[in-house]
Amino acid sequence: MIKVRALSKAFGGYDHGSAEVLALSDIDLEVRDNEFVTVIGPSGCGKTTLLRIIAGLIPYDQGEVSIDGRAVIGPGPERAVVFQNFALMPWADVLSNVAFGLEIRGASTDQCQAKAKELIKLVGLQGFERRLPKELSGGMQQRVGLARALAVNPQILLMDEPFGALDEQTRRLLQEQLLRLWERERKTVVFITHSMDEAVMLGDRVMLMTPRPGRVKEMINVPLGRPRSREVEKSSAFLEIKEYLWDNLRAMQAVDA
Amino acid sequence: MTPETVTEARSIARRGIAWPRGLRRFARNGALEILALAGGALVWEALGWGLRLQWLPPFSKVMEALLQFLHSGVILANLGSSLQALLLGFSLSLVLGLIVGALMGRYRYVEKALDVYVHALFVCPSIVFAPIFFAVFGLSDASRIAIIVVYAMFVMVINTSTAIRTVDPSLVEMARSFGCRERQIFFRILLPASLPLVFAGIRLGMGRAVKGMINGEMLIAFVGLGALAQRYGAQFDAAKVFAIAMAVLIIGLLCNALVQILDNRLTRWAD
Amino acid sequence: MKTNLARDWGPRCVVFAAIVGLWEFFLSHSGNFLLPRFSEIVSGAYRLVFFEPRFWQALFISNQALLIGYAMSVAVGIPLGLIAGRLRWMDRILNPYVGVLLALPVAPLIPIVIIALGLGLAARVFIVVLFAVVFITVNTRAGVRGVEASLIEMAYSFGASEAQIWRRIVIPGAMPAIFAGMRIGLGRAITGMVMVELLLVATGLGRLLLEFSGRMQSDLVFATILVVIIEALSLLAAMQTIERRVARWAPDISVG
Repeated sequence: MIKVRALSKAFGGYDHGSAEVLALSDIDLEVRDNEFVTVIGPSGCGKTTLLRIIAGLIPYDQGEVSIDGRAVIGPGPERAVVFQNFALMPWADVLSNVAFGLEIRGASTDQCQAKAKELIKLVGLQGFERRLPKELSGGMQQRVGLARALAVNPQILLMDEPFGALDEQTRRLLQEQLLRLWERERKTVVFITHSMDEAVMLGDRVMLMTPRPGRVKEMINVPLGRPRSREVEKSSAFLEIKEYLWDNLRAMQAVDA
Repeated sequence: MTPETVTEARSIARRGIAWPRGLRRFARNGALEILALAGGALVWEALGWGLRLQWLPPFSKVMEALLQFLHSGVILANLGSSLQALLLGFSLSLVLGLIVGALMGRYRYVEKALDVYVHALFVCPSIVFAPIFFAVFGLSDASRIAIIVVYAMFVMVINTSTAIRTVDPSLVEMARSFGCRERQIFFRILLPASLPLVFAGIRLGMGRAVKGMINGEMLIAFVGLGALAQRYGAQFDAAKVFAIAMAVLIIGLLCNALVQILDNRLTRWAD
Repeated sequence: MKTNLARDWGPRCVVFAAIVGLWEFFLSHSGNFLLPRFSEIVSGAYRLVFFEPRFWQALFISNQALLIGYAMSVAVGIPLGLIAGRLRWMDRILNPYVGVLLALPVAPLIPIVIIALGLGLAARVFIVVLFAVVFITVNTRAGVRGVEASLIEMAYSFGASEAQIWRRIVIPGAMPAIFAGMRIGLGRAITGMVMVELLLVATGLGRLLLEFSGRMQSDLVFATILVVIIEALSLLAAMQTIERRVARWAPDISVG
């Protein structure tokens, strides 16, 4: 379980000579085990910052962030990140990329390769083990990123707008694939997105954030059943929540415009 | 804000040292670089006085010699001669470089014919041709100018030809669709579109020309800064030799700045 | 396949013939009796390479400075570049010096090196190092800086230690640029060697050239230069092949 209490984070100030920017202010969040939480908000609301704090990639200023009671002070084996721009090593083939996390953590080469191959199959990329990232489409590259994250068997999956760089068709296919994978093994997921469709389609709960400084406006329950199919997109509940999100988000943009 | 090392990131709740704002701004705007250079000059000065080596005069002595150059007539004459050769050589290599490069960029036949030689001459250390020019032109200005041309020309050929060849084809298509003829396409599309990369080549060529000037003059040392360097070297006057090296450095930086200014004005639309 | 060969090499041979033709034309009209014909240059080269042990001796002596100097440049330049790439404060301190050294012509400093180190192997090696080391450092640094921050962050997110980040992300990522630097550095080292030979004239090829020109054997002078050009081009082509294999996945960010 991820627990965030009164979290604040500012950029600038001390070492950088410019005015301080409060990225996150007084964030409270609890993510239960096996829950899929999507986070949505306009640009500048700090959602990526929040994710990276939970991932242990950047420090925070005030408050507490803990996983199962233990404070977050850096990356850990129970968490794995999927990045928006894939972050694949361009010089290594698919197999090496997927095995990377395991190798870092010290597993033997045979174990790494076997597990990697298993996951490559799981994400539907078998046959592509020896290809370089530049030979793959965007969707395939992100599947490699996903396989790599899943290979280390994390409890928690932290996904930073993972499908943001992809075209709509690929995005929809990967959403479905992600849901299928998640049904197999219900990991705890924190998923950042810009898309309201995605937020409601994927999440058990949607966290709506406001910008400058980043705050939690609301946690919205998504009462749609599991497993989810494309059908739910037509349901009134789905449309209602989506409308609600858009009304709020539009209002936030209007303040700026 | 990626932590640069694991240890940096481990200090999660650590707060940075609160330097005063003025100091921070000073540190950000290149003060460290200036301090580093000043520090080096100080060390040089100290070593110069302390070690009393023939080949390491104190920094101040070098500066003294440099200033002397600006007043002394003989030096100015040599400087003038070097700059003249530089100007002639660079202009010639510019004209040749751009024309050959443009032809290679525009006509595949020309490119195929010349690319092996251009690449070989670009890659080859240009100084090897100095003895050849010396044998052909003797101890004359022509030798020095020829060396400068060989140094500077080929980087400009390659950059120009690449620039023209890699112009966005959709721009050319667009022009054709409006009925432009080949000549118009060349002058209205290809030339402007290739300017940024061509200028990059000119900048590099400028640097190469300065190197060619001084390297050539060291070898074909009858006049110019190179000859002076040789003469002072023979006299074991290290301060003056360092001063000449600095003078050439300053010339190179000034020429580079000149090209940069021109580049900025003509290619404001590029990245 | 065959037609492509002809299409590529046809025009190149035409240009070659034109160059030779121009040379001969220039010769007949210049009245300079010392300039050799093209055929004389080629036969001179043949003689030197196959029948003149002194030539190989001279080549060996000259290349000593090249080999040792280049090896030292690589041994010093790459670690410096790696440090400058990774430690920002170190980079900022080194930056102005690197900028100066890139623009500074080494040739005028050669007399100073002679004053300091004399005319022996040490001076020749040092000059080669001066020519080459900065370019290797600069390109290595560019390679390290060019490694995408997101890759380092990714590795960190999987729990990689500093050593692991170096071994698995920074160094493989910087390899293409490092090899580009080594290629450029090799060209510079060869320039240094040639400058040394022509200016110091103590031993090796420089002395040979002096001898040949003293005896008016201009065909041998040109032939020696031809062999040096071929050696330079061969070494650089070899380096480029290695570089290409290492850098199959990467774009070009080289300096110099």
